[in-house]
Amino acid sequence: MEIKINGKKYKANEGDVILDVCRREGIRIPTLCNFPFEEGEFKKETICRLCLVEVNLTDKLVPSCAFPVCSSLEVTTESEKIKKAREINMELLWSDHAGKCVKCKKNRMCELQSLAEEYKIDNFHFIPRKEDLTNTEELDLLKDNKTRVVVEEENPAICRTTEFCIECRRCINVCPERKFGFNHRAGDVIVGTPYEKVLECSFCGECVRVCPVAALTDKNNFSEITEKLDDIKKIAVALVAEGMEEKIKKQLLIMGYQKEPREILKSLGFEKIFDFSEKDAQDEGLDDFKVQLSRKEKINMEDIILFYISSNISLKKEKIANLDYILSEREIARLARDKKII
Amino acid sequence: MNIKDNLKIITEHWGKINPLKIRDYIDVGGYEAIRKFIEKMKPEEAIEEIKKSGLVGRGGAGFSTGEKWEAVKKNKGEKYFICNLDESEPGTYKDRAIVDNNPHLLLEGIIISALAIDAKKAYIYINGRYIKQREILEKAVLEAASNKFIGKGIINSHYDLEIEIFSGAGAYICGEETALINSIEGKRGEPKFRPPYPTETGLWGKPTLVNNAETVSNIPWIIINGGKKYSEIGSAVSPGTKLYVLGGAVRNSGVFEGPTGMTIGAVIDKLGGGLKKGKELWFSQIGGSSGRLVLENELDNSLTFNKKSEIPLGSGAVFVFDKHSDIYDFLLSIAGFFRRESCGKCVPCREGTFRLYEITERMKDGEISERDKEAIKDILWTLNNTTFCPFGKFAAVAFLDAVEKLKILDL
Repeated sequence: MEIKINGKKYKANEGDVILDVCRREGIRIPTLCNFPFEEGEFKKETICRLCLVEVNLTDKLVPSCAFPVCSSLEVTTESEKIKKAREINMELLWSDHAGKCVKCKKNRMCELQSLAEEYKIDNFHFIPRKEDLTNTEELDLLKDNKTRVVVEEENPAICRTTEFCIECRRCINVCPERKFGFNHRAGDVIVGTPYEKVLECSFCGECVRVCPVAALTDKNNFSEITEKLDDIKKIAVALVAEGMEEKIKKQLLIMGYQKEPREILKSLGFEKIFDFSEKDAQDEGLDDFKVQLSRKEKINMEDIILFYISSNISLKKEKIANLDYILSEREIARLARDKKII
Repeated sequence: MNIKDNLKIITEHWGKINPLKIRDYIDVGGYEAIRKFIEKMKPEEAIEEIKKSGLVGRGGAGFSTGEKWEAVKKNKGEKYFICNLDESEPGTYKDRAIVDNNPHLLLEGIIISALAIDAKKAYIYINGRYIKQREILEKAVLEAASNKFIGKGIINSHYDLEIEIFSGAGAYICGEETALINSIEGKRGEPKFRPPYPTETGLWGKPTLVNNAETVSNIPWIIINGGKKYSEIGSAVSPGTKLYVLGGAVRNSGVFEGPTGMTIGAVIDKLGGGLKKGKELWFSQIGGSSGRLVLENELDNSLTFNKKSEIPLGSGAVFVFDKHSDIYDFLLSIAGFFRRESCGKCVPCREGTFRLYEITERMKDGEISERDKEAIKDILWTLNNTTFCPFGKFAAVAFLDAVEKLKILDL
């Protein structure tokens, strides 16, 4: 069938929603609760209210991520009303989040940040200013807001900080083990585990991958890592898992850079870089690599810092002997960003 | 006042019978409607009568009850009936009064409604804070079962029905059908995206009919007296009687039954006995916390469930404010209510109601800045236009009216 978007005709398939057609045709619609990647069926939450568009069937704004196409449908994706809706909702989200971008792990990789830039969110008129506050009640309210923050870093692989969370529910939907859910209600809502217990799962890392902000991030001691990478007495060795180069490339593209992953790794301070397939892992084993290398190259074991570059963060749980760090594509990008390589 | 104005359908036996004794209810003609339905009618005929009656949902939305029944009935297989007794609109307690005074009328309505759509199981979703009412209903269900009105082979017919009382956890949003269904299924109480509608995919994925307790209480009368007779009561667009809940500066506060289509002035004067001595009318709020505010010059508006009506009847609550009421107190209580009760699912409602409450607090304390005024304007707009479910709209109604009609802010 054919539908009209912004006055032009486009092909649409039975069962499509408006957003499907727009993504195929390269028509920009901002989304947060919906996945920006095409990776199979994803639950339509329709809760961020950023993808609202106008259609000829109703006066109301409709969520393009859930509104099914039909013949004679006419869609408008940009108008004063739509712009206003997106701006206000973006600012509301931003008001509950803003302030720490420069030190944030996801700086320049954050979807909320780039949307805020796109929509030029600068007048924070929802946040009370000090001169507006007239009694202690309001200060209590602010304090109350802070006490709701849950930080959990006790699990082996994932840092969780609800302070950055925008309650988009991607992690809730993507988790194959259904570990997350909404706790509390209204403005007190936080995404967490049942009874706020420490996260216990297989650590597939899907939630970290889909989190648009820094609410879920990889766990690693970053200052220690940068220190060791810079240490000239140590030899930093990178084992790059299969398919990681592609992933790193993609991650760099999110930040607007097109660079060769190998180059990036070299500039980060990795002296030796090896490809390491799953077959290698079975044949040699990750725990044996350092031993072999130390024998072959005649280097002290203590001077080798072995990094495994892989998305498989579940290995962190296993505490593999003679393997020092596991770095994901996100962390490579973050290291590159911090070192001002990109 | 013509004779029909005095007609009582729901409140007829209130105060005259013992609500804890089924015998009392049977003696005044109770459970006759079930007998008539089972012995003399086919389910389709009953649905036809309800359609003819023009009965619409009393929860506030005003959707045609007959059409809803038909939509569920036409589906095959397992179905459920749910009586929505989650009443949590501030200032509204009509459903509670029904249970307090005549629980068997409600049960009779539930049984007929469930059987008419071929449901074998009915739920009563009751507000978690209605503890006494739950006990009354439990006793009523037991008594009705021992009199063979519930269970296997109702009064020796082929009809079976099981009734389960389910207490909510006291969330306002669970009065919304899809959130209510989520709640019974043990999920988080928050609305679901529609379509699919509960009439097709409802509780446990089966077609489900959800009716308000007051709606259900009208059913026995319609079955006995016929749909045509019911359709002649009150206003033509949404016929029947309505329970009005009066409160505030009126002389008589409480639950009163009157025909639909009464003017606001008539509700205040005839049912409420006018204002209390020494009180002066400023405005009134119609339909609970999510209702419109009306000034003195709008008292001639008649109250119906018409979608186009300026002042929707909502839950039927009429709260009258005296000239000396503190408007900021009122707005703060409304903002606080919606801030507390928002489910937190969508951005504009979760963040908007929270910010609105903050600003209202400042408003109550004194002057607010131009920046805050801008913020109020934006929040009200986004609540009105972009939220996931109508809850956001509700949160904005009273504020918008206070700004427009009472001119509390110079926006």
